[in-house]
Amino acid sequence: MLQLLTQIGVNGVMMGLVYITMALGFTLIFGIMRIVNFAHGEFYMLGAVALMFFYAHFGLDYFVAVFLAAACVAVFGMLVERVLLRQFVGRELNGMIMTLAIAITIKAAVAIVLGPQEVSIPRPVTGVITLGGILVPNDRLLVGGVAVVVLSGFYLFLRFAPAGLAMRAVAQDWEAAALQGIRPQRVYLWSFGIGCMLAGLAGALMAPIYTIGPYIGTVPMLKAFIVVILGGLGSLPGAVVGGLLLGLVEAGFATFINTTVATMISFGLVVAILLVRPAGLMGNAR
Amino acid sequence: MTFIRIENLGVRYGPIPAVTDLNIEMAKGSVVCMLGANGAGKSTTLRTFAGLTKPFAGRIVLDGEDVTGLPPDEMVRRGVSLSPEGRRLFADMTVAENLKLGAYLGSGRQGWKSGMERVFSYFPRLGERLHQRAGSMSGGEQQMCAIGRAMMSNPRVLLLDEPSLGLAPIMIAEVARIVRHINADGITVFIVEQNARLALKLSDYGYLLETGRLVREGPASKLLTDEHVQAAYLGGLASETPAD
Repeated sequence: MLQLLTQIGVNGVMMGLVYITMALGFTLIFGIMRIVNFAHGEFYMLGAVALMFFYAHFGLDYFVAVFLAAACVAVFGMLVERVLLRQFVGRELNGMIMTLAIAITIKAAVAIVLGPQEVSIPRPVTGVITLGGILVPNDRLLVGGVAVVVLSGFYLFLRFAPAGLAMRAVAQDWEAAALQGIRPQRVYLWSFGIGCMLAGLAGALMAPIYTIGPYIGTVPMLKAFIVVILGGLGSLPGAVVGGLLLGLVEAGFATFINTTVATMISFGLVVAILLVRPAGLMGNAR
Repeated sequence: MTFIRIENLGVRYGPIPAVTDLNIEMAKGSVVCMLGANGAGKSTTLRTFAGLTKPFAGRIVLDGEDVTGLPPDEMVRRGVSLSPEGRRLFADMTVAENLKLGAYLGSGRQGWKSGMERVFSYFPRLGERLHQRAGSMSGGEQQMCAIGRAMMSNPRVLLLDEPSLGLAPIMIAEVARIVRHINADGITVFIVEQNARLALKLSDYGYLLETGRLVREGPASKLLTDEHVQAAYLGGLASETPAD
């Protein structure tokens, strides 16, 4: 029994790390720009598509391909912010509709260019390692490892880098931040780029495990949404807690019952937490 | 000589005029105050000076340069620093992080170090609070931190919006002492206050604003004895503040 629980814990944390990567970008963008990025799933999808080209078609090294894919999505995200989203900062409803339109457009554009079918690419690593009876697929371990490194780097950046400090300042009070000489517009650009990069990274990491197609962003987007609602919209620690919670709950119910029930329960959890703590587990009531 | 000249300044929020035809002059190294009731346009004037609000008419000239309508970061670069109304500290961050942000445009580590030394010379007690969450401090300590943050950018002009608001009398006296100390270091101070007695005691020159227009101006000592000012803002001669 203990071994089973440990196995569930490992599965849950592995999945949770991907959810966190996805949700952190989403909640970062909301926290700083007050924009609910409904196109977040599409940036995930673009990361997967970019990885397909760099890794499967051009035959680049997997790590180089993941890095390039995430960087491409970041640049594309910054372009979208500059051209389409800049004027919607702080206007939540209009911004939401704009990102919805962006999501549908990206999805359709990819479907037109690549076709609607889903394709698979070879896995960079295969096999399973066994640690004291706990089975961990190597590809999941790789994903988890990269996620841990990137998320730690992101934490250190926010905690100690002047640019990270500026981001937190703008998130708390953009006018007071502007009075210190920070340009909020520049912070919006970089925050959106970093948020999209994290989504693209999650997509690129998961691409060899799942399939790649124009519509694969929907489910991760929904999961990111659950995570940030659980943790509190705009709260970065909340995204970490929510991601791990969702991963563990899903792994538990998927093991003992099945994945359909696990999905249902995860939404039930959202309803329950919203009823008890409307701002989420770590959110500030506004 | 005139260091700062505000000429015919007009600011509107949508169609509503907040400040109309405002003219202000400040000599280098002086302390100038602006008095007025809530909503008279005092904060608007400071916000416009600091670049947060764009004026609709008029000019702002700083040391011979027209700086009208420049964004806040350009004003900070030119040595104008605002400690805003309500302090607006980054409450979830530590005191050290707040101060670090004040030196955001300073030249990296060096600018931060010298800024810290300068701030500690005014507020030695902030040194003991460096790793405390800014929002968890007392009102007086938060005000020290807010003025300290504004001083981190090594300004030539310090704009103070209601520094005494909500503070205990002993802390108001402390703010007064610090304003004098900062001014003694050659920094021009423009102070907006509802506490007229405090502001006039600190200032060389004062302006009186009512519903967005200047109604009186003069040397602070003259304004202290002005009938209109006494009746409207000093509540007669009886009340004394511990500013002195």
